Amino acid sequence: MFHNFNYKKPLAALLAFTVSLGMSVSVYAATPDIVKKDVLELGKKTYFRRCVWCHGVEGGGDGPSADRLFTRPRNFNQGTFKIRTTDSGHLPMEEDLIKTVTNGLPGSAMPAWGEVLKKEEIVAVVNFVKTLVQDRSFDDVEDEIVEVQDFGSNPWGTKGPYHLGIPQEAIDQGKEIFIKNKCFECHGGEGRGDGNPTMKDDWGFPIVAADWQQCWNFRGSRRNAYDPFNVVRTINTGLNGTPMPNFKDQINQEDRWKIAAFVNSLCPRKNIDPLANKPVSDFLISSEFTAGPVAKTIDDPMWTVPDSDTKITGWQDDEAYKEEWGAVNRPRKNYVAMAGQITRGKRNFDPKVDNLWVTSRWSEEENAVYYLVEYHLRFLSNDPEWKEMVGIQWPAKLQDLFGAEKPYFIYGDSKKPVHVWRADFLPVNYKPTNAPNPEGYKLDVKVTELNAHGFEDVKVRENPVVEVVDSIYKQGRVKILFRRALTTENADKLEVQIPAQKFIPISFMQWSGRDHEKDEHMAISTWFYTILKPQIPNSIYVNAVIMGCVFAGFQGWLMWMTRRTRKMYDDGVVLRDRLPDQPS
Amino acid sequence: MNKTLLSLIVYVATLGVFHNVLFPIFTPKEIGMVMNRYVYYLIMVLTVIFLHLIMKLKPTMAFRGLMVWTLGFYFYKFILFPPVPWTLFITYMMLWSIGTFLYISQDPITFREFREPIVKTIVGEYKFAQILVFTLMPFLVGFGTYKALYPTFEEPVELRTVHPAPPATTKVHGKTYALEGLQNPFRIAEQDDYQDSFPFLDADKSEYMRHITDGGSLFFQNCHYCHGDQLNGLGMFSHVFNPTPANFVDPGTIAMLRESFLFWRVSKGGPGLPNESTPWSSAMPPWEEHLKTDEIWKIILFEYWYTGWHPRTFDGESSITLKE
Repeated sequence: MFHNFNYKKPLAALLAFTVSLGMSVSVYAATPDIVKKDVLELGKKTYFRRCVWCHGVEGGGDGPSADRLFTRPRNFNQGTFKIRTTDSGHLPMEEDLIKTVTNGLPGSAMPAWGEVLKKEEIVAVVNFVKTLVQDRSFDDVEDEIVEVQDFGSNPWGTKGPYHLGIPQEAIDQGKEIFIKNKCFECHGGEGRGDGNPTMKDDWGFPIVAADWQQCWNFRGSRRNAYDPFNVVRTINTGLNGTPMPNFKDQINQEDRWKIAAFVNSLCPRKNIDPLANKPVSDFLISSEFTAGPVAKTIDDPMWTVPDSDTKITGWQDDEAYKEEWGAVNRPRKNYVAMAGQITRGKRNFDPKVDNLWVTSRWSEEENAVYYLVEYHLRFLSNDPEWKEMVGIQWPAKLQDLFGAEKPYFIYGDSKKPVHVWRADFLPVNYKPTNAPNPEGYKLDVKVTELNAHGFEDVKVRENPVVEVVDSIYKQGRVKILFRRALTTENADKLEVQIPAQKFIPISFMQWSGRDHEKDEHMAISTWFYTILKPQIPNSIYVNAVIMGCVFAGFQGWLMWMTRRTRKMYDDGVVLRDRLPDQPS
Repeated sequence: MNKTLLSLIVYVATLGVFHNVLFPIFTPKEIGMVMNRYVYYLIMVLTVIFLHLIMKLKPTMAFRGLMVWTLGFYFYKFILFPPVPWTLFITYMMLWSIGTFLYISQDPITFREFREPIVKTIVGEYKFAQILVFTLMPFLVGFGTYKALYPTFEEPVELRTVHPAPPATTKVHGKTYALEGLQNPFRIAEQDDYQDSFPFLDADKSEYMRHITDGGSLFFQNCHYCHGDQLNGLGMFSHVFNPTPANFVDPGTIAMLRESFLFWRVSKGGPGLPNESTPWSSAMPPWEEHLKTDEIWKIILFEYWYTGWHPRTFDGESSITLKE
């Protein structure tokens, strides 16, 4: 996955030595940072303006918004804070809370306040929050001890934002430590958080393990998603209030960095929007031209494109692919951000899927287009009443749209209908409590095609022509490969006809059957564009050569002309222009 | 040593040092009278001239022309702020090129001096330069042609009207409202007097703060997913939608609108927009489907209280004067 960088062996030994020195210094015990009484007034003012809406009047995590949030806002009363530098069960340092307020908790509704509040307001509000802790006290210097952990430092000296260049060796060793410590029991076989569906937090609310392949959602990522330090800190301190314990006794410090390297290596490198702390959506889904037929199996090299942006990682096609396909471009794997449908009808405030990955190819020979839709979902339904579903939405009457016009993004509207290709599926022989299964689960898929003139007017089409040619649910990831002919009979004029080389609006819908989502109660994307890219014509190579030759000819003419002029000067046929200081 | 070569080294080194070391220093976050990019550029040009004077360098005319031209290029490319669009950049560079040519051809001597190395390259007196240029150029042209013809696809740019003209009237929950002159029924006090009051805690004492508490609670149950906990349009779902949700803290949104406009926008949402505002991709719900009329007004009241902006008002007096 990464380029091994050539670090010098002696340097590594020196670093390892420094790390071991660091371990001997290790943990130091202290008393909690007592409440700063003089800032409480400002803190209270800030809290009641900014925080009370989620965290509640008494800090019980029960503000007006709480019931519509997953994860719920923090209940401060017990003094339980997840992201700390202190030992499991201990109160946090003031600096930990300041960092949390400053950077927010990505993946939750808690925003970063660093750019909104002044530093003194953040300090004040943090001290006010400390007074909302009822069951213990930051002022109790007798009984409360905080042991600040020592995390060592990044042994490979990698740099943000992407922290590439960690040696593969360390990543592989990290994987072994991951297996040995059974991290997969909660985090799943490939770290997508699909291990344990029954977990509860200290207050009895359901909770899920972190998805390591979406590190931008790590609560403690401190707006620096790819930094392995985030993982080291969590292994060291655990997450108070959750089933995540610390592993500092089981895993020594050197190994903590290695397991962090492994966890970190799983997270796709994408351009992260600094405001949203999420990858930037790839708003153009190009469908790559494929000579001959397109592979109908997901495992075929035609479809195995890495999630990471290849421009960032410098990933190259392997030799086997190059031999078979030559310089044919691989399609990009496009990131499609999803949100709960909170606009019309029954709203979905806590969608289980917040992004899809979409790859596309088309074949002139087959006259067909393929869309591979992938997404992470920790647990699937196995209730035939509530199937898992994912769909692609198109304008049904593409030819009638003028300019930027599109149907309404939620099931179209009365004038502009949409056409939805939906895969309804259940995994075969699957139970959410099963141990990680590297083989994955086959999916029992049925394709449904819909036409809609608005979310209240959705009709199922008879005799669907869209196919799902391959599908699988493996280690917390659903993959569905859609195929359809570019053109169909289209007797009722409500099937999308897909032209080549035209920008076509496309959007995506997803329903978690296990979460009892259906109809407009779903996750949805906004309109993206897709385009069937043309074959690269041979004429562009020919034209390049022709232009080069023409230019060479022009150069020859220029040389001949210049020489001729010189000769004419020398022969006195033509006079040189006279300069001012030269006598005539 | 060849004076032109020395001059080239001095020139490239100066630009390199200035661009990589001094440019970041001269462009801090807070721009000052001295610490700005234009002063930086002036100092750079003066340094180049000064170095040439004290080292008594007198490069050939062709190189001097090149220096003048590249300094112009550097100015338009890196210094001029905000950066100009490329069409304008090309126009500026054309003018600059003409200016450079005027400098070169100010009199026949300089012009001949300028032409000399070019002619010598063409006729082959500078053999090495000739071979280099004459073999490289056709390849560059060929490659440029390939690059230009290679099909690339960028998503189409879509422009939209952010604040479209509102209709004269709007019908919400069966009642028709004329937007002209429509006031927020809950604006019963001057909001500035309540900037230090506490929602929830002061809700029993003051009717106004009770409305703010209600409005805020509704906002944080319905609106924050897109418009954000900070009302800055950066809610947890905001990055998904295109157009992105409105930022109420920005002076370009609620600060320049009337409350009646907000009432219409909130009630009718995305589907109520005219075509020029791309109603098909707006995720703004028609809130009349989810909220009561009073609730909509209270949320609007809260948005102004929280951000500290004042809504634009209908100025009765001036409209009377105009009518007469």
